[in-house]
Amino acid sequence: MLIRYFAAAAASTGIEAEHLQLPNGATMADLRTELARLHTVSSTDHAPALAQLLERCSFLRNGIAVKDTQLALDTDDVVDVLPPFAGG
Amino acid sequence: MTPTVRPAASETRPGALPPLVDPGEPLDRAEVERYSRHVIIPEVGEMGQRRLKNAKVLVIGAGGLGSPALLYLAAAGVGTIGIVDDDVVDLSNLQRQVIHTVGDVGRRKLDSAKESIEALNPLINVVLHPVHLDSSNALELFAPYDVVLDGADNFATRYLVNDAAALLGKPYVWGSILRFDGQVSVFWDKHGPNYRDLYPEPPAAGMVPSCGEGGVFGMLCASVGAMMVTEAVKLITGIGTSLLGRLLVFDALSARWREIGIGKDPAADPITELVDYEVFCGVAPTSRTDDGETIDALALARRLAARDSGQDDFELIDVREPGEYAIVSIPGAKLVPLAGILSGSALEDVPRERSIILHCKSGGRSAQALAALKLAGYGDAVHLAGGILQWVRDVEPNKPTY
Repeated sequence: MLIRYFAAAAASTGIEAEHLQLPNGATMADLRTELARLHTVSSTDHAPALAQLLERCSFLRNGIAVKDTQLALDTDDVVDVLPPFAGG
Repeated sequence: MTPTVRPAASETRPGALPPLVDPGEPLDRAEVERYSRHVIIPEVGEMGQRRLKNAKVLVIGAGGLGSPALLYLAAAGVGTIGIVDDDVVDLSNLQRQVIHTVGDVGRRKLDSAKESIEALNPLINVVLHPVHLDSSNALELFAPYDVVLDGADNFATRYLVNDAAALLGKPYVWGSILRFDGQVSVFWDKHGPNYRDLYPEPPAAGMVPSCGEGGVFGMLCASVGAMMVTEAVKLITGIGTSLLGRLLVFDALSARWREIGIGKDPAADPITELVDYEVFCGVAPTSRTDDGETIDALALARRLAARDSGQDDFELIDVREPGEYAIVSIPGAKLVPLAGILSGSALEDVPRERSIILHCKSGGRSAQALAALKLAGYGDAVHLAGGILQWVRDVEPNKPTY
């Protein structure tokens, strides 16, 4: 599946997107565990590691926000990782 | 043979919506001249300009996003502009809040914004709302307006504005900024997704820095604020394809706008009422009072003096970021940014054998750090009430603040 990173998540991973292979039937919780495992170190001193950002992020699966961590994912899903911010 | 590609009828274009506002009175000669560069665009025309003249737009916050948004709304001839703000102009606002000037420092942002708008376009009716927006006043306040532009600076207000706009069936033009990042979208629950379809849950209080804590690239306000007004004007006049159902994410460092489609979550609970958004976002007043977990600035000054003379022993830990520490710091404080305390990676810099006093800018992050230290088994720890801002007010008034 395609994982796309935005804002602080892109700064932290140093990439805008990556393809991941997860086992069939993998859930949103599995994806989060995998993302935390892959990105324990930030690419920059100016952003926390993705592992520390995940808790606050919104995850859109094919454009729909995922609230149920047990939701099963498909191999061709696009998942957007969006850290929130509210500055104005 | 080349196939003929016909533009789809406006009714069928995704994101295309009928004009939000009926045309107002015909333009007089001065108006035609003032707005001529819009009137001569066929898609806008005299009719579009009369819709703008008849439109009522409410802007939440006369700050970073509100400043350019208000000026462009006024320049475009939006007939009635309401502003909600309960803040005063601070010198640190002028780096980006271009509607205010040096002479406005210390004045209400509302008054400063109104003067700037009237100097730019005296034809605009400016309505000032000097209130703190909350569940008790939002619906009544929003009711007369056609569209709401949100340039607030906190999550609680964002959810409140979203929910109130959804309940009233009004479009909600939303933008937010932090450091080099911007986001902008149009939410309209009646016709598509709302803010909760993008961010269903607020982040834990204190987890996401504000612009005052994390900083903001000033020019970003213009990039995102102008996009917000662009969307508002398109909605009012019914031209083009709105951002409803799409999020634009701007990265000033890479100079790229990226687009994400947002769908309405079919499983989401409908918005049926306003709630207490301070509680919803976990920022309800808590340990501000003397609950044994805080120390006030004067008491900290006494303890630092006692420590200097060997009569007290503790570690003063500043949980802010290095850039903030460089602007102003408390003598003898050690910098350990909050993220490392929350993740546990920096706990080796926080001694277990000494008393700990934590501080940040205004008390929010140090409260988070304190809770994390207690969970990690630190027994003897407190945090500075009001943070370094209170320290500067009470102890070292000659030091800069931000």
